[in-house]
Amino acid sequence: MNRVIRKNLAGYAFLLPWLVGFLLLAIGPILFSLYLSFTKYNVINPPQWIGLDNYAYMFGRDARFRKALQVTFTFVAFAVPAKLVFALAVAMLLDKGIRAIGIYRALFYLPSILGGSIAVAILWRNLFNADGVVNTILGFVGIDGPAWLADPRYSLWTLIVLAVWQFGSPMLIFLAGLRAIPQELYEAAEIDAAGKVKQFFAITVPLLAPVIFFNLVLQMIEAFKSFSGAFIISGGSGAPLDSLLFYTVYLFNEAFSFLRMGYASALAWVLLAIIAAFTAIAFWTSKYWVHYEGERG
Amino acid sequence: MDAALTEPLALARSLRAAKAQRAKRAALLKHVFLIAASLVMIYPLLWMLASSFKPNNQIFGDPSLWPREVTWANYPEGWNGMAVSFGVFFRNSLFVTILSVIGNVLSCSFTAYAFARLEFTGKRLWFALMMMTLMIPYHVVLIPQYLTFLKLGWVDTYLPLIVPQFLAGDAFFIFLMVQFFRQLPRELDEAAMIDGCSPFKIYWAIIMPLSIPAIATAAIFSFIWTWDDFLGPLVYLNDVKDYTVPLALRMFNSQDSVTQYGQMFAMSILSLLPIFLFFIIFQRLIIRGIAMSGLK
Amino acid sequence: MASVVLNDVRKAYGKHEVIHGVDLEVRSGEFMVLVGPSGCGKSTLLRMIAGLEEISDGLISIGGKVVNELPASQRNLSMVFQSYALYPHMSVRRNLAFGLSNLRMPRDEIERRVTEAARILQIGELMERKPRQLSGGQKQRVAIGRAIVREPQLFLFDEPLSNLDAELRVQMRVELANLYNRLGTTMIYVTHDQVEAMTMASRITVLNAGNIEQVGTPYELYNFPRNRFVATFIGSPKMNMLAASGGGTADFGAMGLPADVAHVGVRPEHLVLGSGVAGKVTLVEYLGSEIFVHLTLPSGQQLLAQADGKAQIRMGDAALVSFDAKAAHYFGADGTRLPLYDAAA
Repeated sequence: MNRVIRKNLAGYAFLLPWLVGFLLLAIGPILFSLYLSFTKYNVINPPQWIGLDNYAYMFGRDARFRKALQVTFTFVAFAVPAKLVFALAVAMLLDKGIRAIGIYRALFYLPSILGGSIAVAILWRNLFNADGVVNTILGFVGIDGPAWLADPRYSLWTLIVLAVWQFGSPMLIFLAGLRAIPQELYEAAEIDAAGKVKQFFAITVPLLAPVIFFNLVLQMIEAFKSFSGAFIISGGSGAPLDSLLFYTVYLFNEAFSFLRMGYASALAWVLLAIIAAFTAIAFWTSKYWVHYEGERG
Repeated sequence: MDAALTEPLALARSLRAAKAQRAKRAALLKHVFLIAASLVMIYPLLWMLASSFKPNNQIFGDPSLWPREVTWANYPEGWNGMAVSFGVFFRNSLFVTILSVIGNVLSCSFTAYAFARLEFTGKRLWFALMMMTLMIPYHVVLIPQYLTFLKLGWVDTYLPLIVPQFLAGDAFFIFLMVQFFRQLPRELDEAAMIDGCSPFKIYWAIIMPLSIPAIATAAIFSFIWTWDDFLGPLVYLNDVKDYTVPLALRMFNSQDSVTQYGQMFAMSILSLLPIFLFFIIFQRLIIRGIAMSGLK
Repeated sequence: MASVVLNDVRKAYGKHEVIHGVDLEVRSGEFMVLVGPSGCGKSTLLRMIAGLEEISDGLISIGGKVVNELPASQRNLSMVFQSYALYPHMSVRRNLAFGLSNLRMPRDEIERRVTEAARILQIGELMERKPRQLSGGQKQRVAIGRAIVREPQLFLFDEPLSNLDAELRVQMRVELANLYNRLGTTMIYVTHDQVEAMTMASRITVLNAGNIEQVGTPYELYNFPRNRFVATFIGSPKMNMLAASGGGTADFGAMGLPADVAHVGVRPEHLVLGSGVAGKVTLVEYLGSEIFVHLTLPSGQQLLAQADGKAQIRMGDAALVSFDAKAAHYFGADGTRLPLYDAAA
């Protein structure tokens, strides 16, 4: 058994940094956060146990919490599908051996790789200013654009556009997925007299389903977590009229502006639960529409 | 050849020509569309670049990509536009980023090697837990981490930004490397074992040199994400002298009074430059890395 | 040089046992081939000897010393892998020297051994190349070179020729045999190809489903297979197997055999065409120097007979077939050999 012990020693030696990180920076904090969520804690005084009060307030009386949920869900519901549709459409255009594909791919991906930067959020804020470039261009075609960022009816849409603009990663993943579909299938479908539309729904979509699913889960999680864009464009507060009050922005402000660490921890746990629930739903429904190769019907 | 045969041949030829013509027209149409679409895609970025060369009063509402009047002044003025020079911010950012990249690559490759190549009890369970951390939003662990670092007296230092990177915090990189390591033939490890290599020597002399593409991809993304990181520095750094570039840019943005837009865009462009250069140089690696592991 | 002794060696994955208590002695200086159908456990056995796989139970000793707890590197052996497992990022020279430098051998000694190996294997011009710049045969040579520079007491080969094309395989077979004659080191060689086994081995171990079926020289295995499995596994084309009962077989009638004979085995070259029982030729394979004739007897029994290449036999012909009872093999109901005529042979 000597050798087995030696193997375990080697394995855990290599795993050690991650293990320490996992315990001290992931699991430990998550449990600590769970405890804090049952307390009132402002950093200065020690945490004070208040049971379920935080959660009761959150679901009972906190209108800003409901607003944050509404804003975030709206964002996810529009940004994610739109992003995936664009990504798939462009990937399909680029897939079939087109000239200069490398250049197109780079141009379409560029916003995504730069998009995580604060510089881009700042740029967005200026583009959509009331007298910014977007409205100037709209003016050329006779549209009198609104004050995008000051008007709570429109402000969220600027962020949705910002998210959709960054469809590069799912596009690249779709491209790789499309490449993996054997060309013979399309040729066989052609012989079977299936039109392009039929081919798309009968071959591309089912064979791409695992990739679509993967992108959907990934983008959904990303969308729930998105923060800096909303934070910068709303000036850190979720303004105007909380129309940009992303869940993460609300959480950040509760924790670090108002030092309500207990309540913010409860918010964090609800966010974790929401993301876990959506991921679980995606996985659970996936068996009805995702078929992996080599798997029976 | 008899006439009954030449006729179908001629017909086939003309049909073929018509088909080629159609295909050509379709390809042209596709290119026109793609060019238009990519222009829309990069227009905002080009506009920012152009604006960084425009005098302040010609920026707003001017959609043109060519400054009527080219000025370089935004760059030096923006560089020194605040109490602390941008040189300091860039140095701070570079310091944090480079250490983070080193920490990430080392710790994540360690972890990935254990998961991909070594046998130990509990491996499956740890791997599953590692994959689950992909889902955890940073916001959930942020508060307890902050309180811990506050207790340790690490707030207002770079330690909260750097130390976690040495503890393999990013499961994306681990996953990327596990995928890559797994496709290296296992017989290489076995040959090395017989050749007298310890597990560490196998990692260092066999696996790492053969995994340069994966290591480089992880390093590039680690660089980009740390360089762009906003929330971490926002929470942990309070002294302007310690600010990283994203915090400095935000300062520019939130000076509500007379904002120097040209200077702000000039510094924005400079902040994007390292990422842009990485993208140009390592495009293949980046694209392959995303396709392989679904990096965001 | 060292002997290798396996004592009741077992391997189990969880509850599933794949090697069921193997006892085997490989003599010092012997070329032992482990052969068997895929999944019989021959590679697992080799890897357990190498130290790459844990032993679930039993003892392995090399050179009289129990090595159960020794890591692979301390067993003083070399291994040649099926895929060669050359380090892709190192030159041929580095590949050969890597193991030696891990042993902290003096530099000039490493240099001497590498040069010597390069000379023996005629790979002197390839020393600065990377593995991907080598052909299959060259890679094979480098892999063998990496094994011999360590001057080990034992060589292990895991199907080393299976990735080569047929012509190269025959050539490398000869080279390996020459190398063995020159070095005289103990070798254990795993293959699923019984021709390889027959041509190279001092002795062969036939494995099946985690058990040893027989250990013996190629001659013994071919002429005195201990049971039906070995009888049909060794020899190409396969031995014909006829069911027997009551002292004879359905097609050839009473043969005065003991009542416990359940099967009669006849190798294709021992079937004689031209007299005896009438059968129908269903297929003729022409190989030049000989032909293989597939026959169906009235009972439906299929037979394969070998005949001279010039014999005029066509598909659909009727043919008479018989065999000499002394050249046949006899097996009991449990499959073990019954030594009816063995003394005579």
